[in-house]
Amino acid sequence: MAADRRIFSLLEVTKSIQKTLQERYTSSFWVKAEMNKLNHYVHSGHCYPELLDKQNNKVIAEMKAVLWRDDYQRINQRFISILKEPLKDGIKVLLQARIQFDPVHGLQLWITDIDPEYTLGDLEREKAETIAQLKTEGIYDRNRELPMPLLPQRLAIISVESSKGYADFRKIIQGNAWGYHFFQMLFPSILQGDQAVTLIIQQLRTIRKVRKHFDAVLIIRGGGGEVGLSCYNNYRLAREIAMFPLPVYTGIGHATNETVAEMVAAFNAITPTKLAEYLLQRFHDFAIPVRDAQELLSDISLKLLDTANQEFRSHLRLFRSLVEGLVKSRENEIAASTTVLGQQAKHFLRLQKEELRHLEKNIHLLDPVHTLKRGYSITRVNGKAVQKLADVNIGDHLVTQVFDGLIGSSINQKKES
Amino acid sequence: MSKNMNYAEAFEELQAIVTEIEQGEITVDELAEKVKRAAVLIKVCKAKLTATEEDVNKILKELDGAD
Repeated sequence: MAADRRIFSLLEVTKSIQKTLQERYTSSFWVKAEMNKLNHYVHSGHCYPELLDKQNNKVIAEMKAVLWRDDYQRINQRFISILKEPLKDGIKVLLQARIQFDPVHGLQLWITDIDPEYTLGDLEREKAETIAQLKTEGIYDRNRELPMPLLPQRLAIISVESSKGYADFRKIIQGNAWGYHFFQMLFPSILQGDQAVTLIIQQLRTIRKVRKHFDAVLIIRGGGGEVGLSCYNNYRLAREIAMFPLPVYTGIGHATNETVAEMVAAFNAITPTKLAEYLLQRFHDFAIPVRDAQELLSDISLKLLDTANQEFRSHLRLFRSLVEGLVKSRENEIAASTTVLGQQAKHFLRLQKEELRHLEKNIHLLDPVHTLKRGYSITRVNGKAVQKLADVNIGDHLVTQVFDGLIGSSINQKKES
Repeated sequence: MSKNMNYAEAFEELQAIVTEIEQGEITVDELAEKVKRAAVLIKVCKAKLTATEEDVNKILKELDGAD
């Protein structure tokens, strides 16, 4: 046992360390680190973050920190307004801190400020990396290149029963004035914050098993504000959506930049309401040509029948007018013939009459009486006029006719002259 | 005509008939046949707009079996 040895109490040691550190670290400084755990205590409002430094995914430095309630609230507000994300586990931070050493609590960083811009840059980087990775793998456009279902009618919906966005969506879909029918099945999930990544992926994998019953998957969120959406930039979730065998439609409801999940989805609507309207529009796109076809068929049928009818009627008119013309012209011909015939007949009769008169006159002149009057006579034997010697024989009885009577005689001689 | 005719096929065939008619090379006699066919197709399409045969319970049962 050495008599000269000096014994310190533990407090003296810690006080000495405390004093040395206080003299060495007189002011605050900026530190970049990964905030592995925020460790926010709701009751006290203080946080006891667990800070890490990593190299190749290996922890190479670790330190505890403290973030007092008022500082936490101020910083968290700035994060929400700038990043649209609260302070949370697993983000990279640039923080302003002082070294503190407490005899009881040991060494820790007392955080007085955190620069949201640094974390924002980191989130942007994560988003860019997710996009780049999906493109490298050649799957960035895969969901968008799936054939569009003609009618997105059977919907697998990833949402929360109580979500306002989901209620808005249902109101439009269910009350649609055209009677369009949708089959909807809800696959409940948290839709923002870190847990959303795992839960949405789980539900997508469930839906994948029964995908033949669905035309599309809808991710619907709304009424949740703008905070906690960086989960939609997560590589694993974006990849699951890009690779999903059915078209994924997103209606996440926010005004800031599109997330990667929305970019790779087959269709992205700004809000659940717009998504519902899009689906109805797709139904219209189907229903309208069907209705037009119906009208066209009815119109064209009527028109064709009408044309045929008109053609028939015009043929009929033409036929009638031809027939009437023909009849008329025949009638005219007959009338003309009748006139000619009348005239011809009259003329002919007159001629006949004249000829008769002429004949009558001739006949009168030829009457033998006139000849007899002039001294001629007719001699007959047995009633036949005697013209030559051979007609008579000696002894024949002759009857001679003269103008005013008959003379009987007998032949006693014949002599040629 | 199958009762379970795919509505997408019905839609496509209907569009084809419409195109044919619009191009105007169809006689009154052909038209009667086309109109009859189109009426069936229109019925299939319209029915699809207002009904599905999916059933949540059936899908849940299928999921139970898959796990």
